[in-house]
Amino acid sequence: EKWAATRAKYPPTTLALRHFDSTYSTQLGKLWPSIRVALLSERKYGALLNNFSFDDIPEDYEAQGCRDFIRDTDTEAQPRLQQESEFVAERESDCVSVQNADADSLQLPPLQLSRNVKCLVFPRGDITRFKPAKPDKSGLLSYYLMDAASVLPCLALNVEDGHNVLDLCAAPGGKTLALLQTHSLGFLCVNDASVSRTMRLKRVLRSYIPKDLLTDEKLRITSFDGTMWGEVETNVFNRVLVDVPCTTDRHSLLEDDNNIFNKSRVGERRRLPQLQTELLLAGILAACPGGEILYSTCTLCRSQNHSVVEQAIQLAQENHGIQLQVVDLRPLTHMFRKTFHFAPDLPLGEMVVPHLAANFGPIYMCKLRRLT
Amino acid sequence: LHPAQQNPNERTHQSREPVTELSIHSLRDLGFTETQAEQICGSVSKIRGGNATKHAMSTLTALFILGLNASSVLKLLEKCPEVFHVKESLLQQRIDNLRKLGLVEGSLQRVVAYYPQILTVPVKRLRNVVMFLREKCLFTGKQVTDILRESPAVVLENMSQLEYKFQYVYFRMGVKQAEMLKSRLFRFTLDEVRCRHCFLERRGMYETPDKKGQTTIINPKLESILNVSEGTFVTDVAMASAEEYDVFKKLMEREWREEEQQMDSIDTD
Ligand SMILES: C[S@@+](CC[C@H](N)C(=O)[O-])C[C@H]1O[C@@H](n2cnc3c(N)ncnc32)[C@H](O)[C@@H]1O
Repeated sequence: EKWAATRAKYPPTTLALRHFDSTYSTQLGKLWPSIRVALLSERKYGALLNNFSFDDIPEDYEAQGCRDFIRDTDTEAQPRLQQESEFVAERESDCVSVQNADADSLQLPPLQLSRNVKCLVFPRGDITRFKPAKPDKSGLLSYYLMDAASVLPCLALNVEDGHNVLDLCAAPGGKTLALLQTHSLGFLCVNDASVSRTMRLKRVLRSYIPKDLLTDEKLRITSFDGTMWGEVETNVFNRVLVDVPCTTDRHSLLEDDNNIFNKSRVGERRRLPQLQTELLLAGILAACPGGEILYSTCTLCRSQNHSVVEQAIQLAQENHGIQLQVVDLRPLTHMFRKTFHFAPDLPLGEMVVPHLAANFGPIYMCKLRRLT
Repeated sequence: LHPAQQNPNERTHQSREPVTELSIHSLRDLGFTETQAEQICGSVSKIRGGNATKHAMSTLTALFILGLNASSVLKLLEKCPEVFHVKESLLQQRIDNLRKLGLVEGSLQRVVAYYPQILTVPVKRLRNVVMFLREKCLFTGKQVTDILRESPAVVLENMSQLEYKFQYVYFRMGVKQAEMLKSRLFRFTLDEVRCRHCFLERRGMYETPDKKGQTTIINPKLESILNVSEGTFVTDVAMASAEEYDVFKKLMEREWREEEQQMDSIDTD
């Protein structure tokens, strides 16, 4: 009887759905039913190809219509970007905020996407699944299955040769792997507060990356509380990825285990925006002046997305005198609109929204540049 | 009806030379045109196995007596040649049984013409289906007649499928018998019903009523979900795109297939 009394009347997945129904129907309006059905149906994966593996792209995937979405971009996008890239340098220097630039006057900055990152996806509407990757002759796996939209924050971070990079909340390591595929990193710091998840991250790295790239000169793996990073190391990183813990909307709707909508975790859930703001602020402090920070989540929730970014920008200014510029990611979304559905008219940042025919995301991302 | 038609009929039973019975001549006597008669002879001779030719004349006659005209009979023959395997006495018994179940003249002919397979169903099976509908699903006698008239295919449906379909709509969708009838539920396969319902449910547009029969949103009527074309359902009821529903159907099919496989493997464990 004791058991019956303590058992929750509604499972966490049901509570999550109710919560989303009430908040997202107002935040997303007409889009919500279409996102809802996608969230409640089987998601799509992408296969992040491992350049370090000896095995080639599995041929049968290409025969089945798979394509690397990073190269399979919108055809109109390229010429326009090239034409306008000259203006961009000027514009960037004198324009601090591009937040409200309207689409017509928008001059798209050049995209420097790493050529080495490749991610296969099945075409729109195709529900074929990838098989689990097999190890090659050296024991490395040839691809990593992840939400293809999760590759976007890594691309948006725009890592260049020799950059020092911090991945503040890195486990289980999908985005870390994508960053490592660029071959450009000078030094990479990988951190995650959870020790057990950090162990998992280490296993992932060992299954994909050759040993000589995992040496102390190239890589450091830690398990700190990311909010304290500023006390350890400030103004050093060229690029910082802040992929924060969030309500993980898809997981919360489908799995009762480890669900943040569990009654016992109400406090933790309420504190998320606070934690996220602190993590982003720590990431901002860790970046060097001129460095870039990418904030990302896998929730649709405003209070965990652009509200957090706004808050962090303000705190950085007020408490640390740091000026930030929001970097326009529209060139990126324009380029990949064939593969993903992006939410229209976000006040700040960009968001991949799930759709049955392209069931990736949700992924929110916002890029900041430190001016001082 | 022509009384003369009774004669060839009776002779068929006694005679062991069916081929001579089914002739263009005798068909013309029944009222078929020359071309129709030729078509029938051709079709009947193509029916494989059994004793189609033997019963052909008696079946044709019975159908005429029922009141079907030559062209309906011809269509029926194309739709369901199995009817020609049925002995005349059984055929008559089955027709009488349908009358007893409340199919009045007019309806009876329409049902037979629309779904001739109903004449291949033994009286006993039909009785079981009717009992099932009355006792397990609590339809009234009149409602059962309506079901037979509107959706005669129920009589050949797998009974456990039928039961699951009823329960799904009754419990999961919270729909009562009268509404099921209005929507002609039994014309649709379980998968069609489930797929449309799940699509709405996952879009947040359909809720299972609680114990008191209440919902927080207004569910669309079953009639407006089922009794429309798929295109209308998708755009006007679900307010979605055809692309979304196409993908959804594929996903559901896989989901159900895998659920079944899982059940099977549990059963055999
Ligand atoms: C969304 S997941 C990161 C996913 C990862 N970037 C990937 O692509 O595989 C968020 C992570 O943040 C970690 N985390 C939670 N609180 C943290 C904190 N205070 N400092 C650092 N990491 C934290 C969690 O352990 C979790 O692994």
